[in-house]
Amino acid sequence: MRTATMEFEPTRRHFLSMGASAGAMLALPGAVRAASGITDMRLLAFDGDRLLTASETLMASPDGGRSWHERPTPAPFSSIATHPARPGRVLAGLAQEGVAVSDDGGATWLRRSEGLAPGEVTAVIVAAGNPNMFYVAIRGDGLWKSEDTGKTWSLAMDRPWLDEAERDPLALASVDLETGMGGIWIYAGTEKGLTRVPDCFCRWQDVQPGNAMDALVTGDAPPAEAPLPSDEPILSLVSAPTAPSTLFAALPSGVWTSQDGGVVWAHKAKGQGRAVAVHPTDENHVVAILDGNLKLSRDGGATWTTIAVA
Amino acid sequence: MRRAATFGAVAFALTAIGFGVLAEPGLDNGSVSGLSFLGESVTGADIAAGEALYAESCASCHGAELEGQPDWRRRLDNGRMPAPPHDETGHTWHHSDRNLFIVTKGGVGAIVPGYESDMPAFEDILTDDEIADVLSYIKSTWPDRQREFQAEVSANDKGDL
Repeated sequence: MRTATMEFEPTRRHFLSMGASAGAMLALPGAVRAASGITDMRLLAFDGDRLLTASETLMASPDGGRSWHERPTPAPFSSIATHPARPGRVLAGLAQEGVAVSDDGGATWLRRSEGLAPGEVTAVIVAAGNPNMFYVAIRGDGLWKSEDTGKTWSLAMDRPWLDEAERDPLALASVDLETGMGGIWIYAGTEKGLTRVPDCFCRWQDVQPGNAMDALVTGDAPPAEAPLPSDEPILSLVSAPTAPSTLFAALPSGVWTSQDGGVVWAHKAKGQGRAVAVHPTDENHVVAILDGNLKLSRDGGATWTTIAVA
Repeated sequence: MRRAATFGAVAFALTAIGFGVLAEPGLDNGSVSGLSFLGESVTGADIAAGEALYAESCASCHGAELEGQPDWRRRLDNGRMPAPPHDETGHTWHHSDRNLFIVTKGGVGAIVPGYESDMPAFEDILTDDEIADVLSYIKSTWPDRQREFQAEVSANDKGDL
């Protein structure tokens, strides 16, 4: 088992970056450093009440995004996930390969990549019903699963097949809605729209209203559908822990939300959407990165305000 | 169950010997204890018939030992998924009796519209009773944990055929 507690594993890129950062630190006050670091962030997650944002670095805010504190990272992140029942646990997909896990809010990290296929981890998620179960998507490979916080991994499923080709999941969400197969759903956002697979991993399938089998048998007309745009990549996807059928997605066209598990979507905020996160105890408390700014909504995406970074 | 007279007594006796290790016939009418399909009891004869039908119609893809096709989690070149195992290493035991019956009879597209699969619909190949026998046979091979899980999934599936 290849696990090690890490502070930093600096590469040449890190070294140069750190040198540049050190220069900036001498010249700029702390608040300005934090503010400039936020603007290029691509990832968001709530860890309890703390807000995390990351890309090359990880930053944590204890006050809703007004102030930020940088955390060490083992390598540049490509994706992050947390779990409402396990504050402090952060699962990070690494841009080059592998994952890292922190159980102290990002202060220290363990690499958990043994047995995992090589390649960029494009998306990670912690299972809604089990904070020890992780799923990660690896570019060009597939969806992998660990039932022991990343100590061991196994291939769960190949990549979804959409528009005549396999597509990399760019975002994953563990959606605590029953599949009818004794489990729940894993949703994946791709460059060609949304898809989902039951956690028994029988098959990727379109998001459909209600129970497809019942509709088939009764002959009822299917409810209306309003899917996400299929010609835009889904860059971020979350299910509200307090209302799992409430989903939020960030796309280049903005922030979208669904109240019915992904069948009908509404365009809630226009702009260059990059990431979205929902508070673990309030499905109306949403934070998004939109046009490079940190945006806050306390009404489920109906209205947004820009968070002023101190 | 439905078609107990289909196979001869000799075939039944031979198969029942082997099956006794997996599921225990315990009722006066020959029903197998702890095993049902779509709410009906299953007999050793049903399972024997299902095993023979499985060998004829299913084993070429799903494997003689229900092991599935190699590397079954990886997509084939045609974009479709290989035949999964039907033993406890696969996902069959996550599906309700009703789900399994509909998929076998109508193909995967019957529950996931538009889904492309190499598995045919068996509605013109096997009768409903034969499909039930095949699925009863598959269920009879599962360990207790998988059988209990699947029984609960089936009990929670309130839909009709």
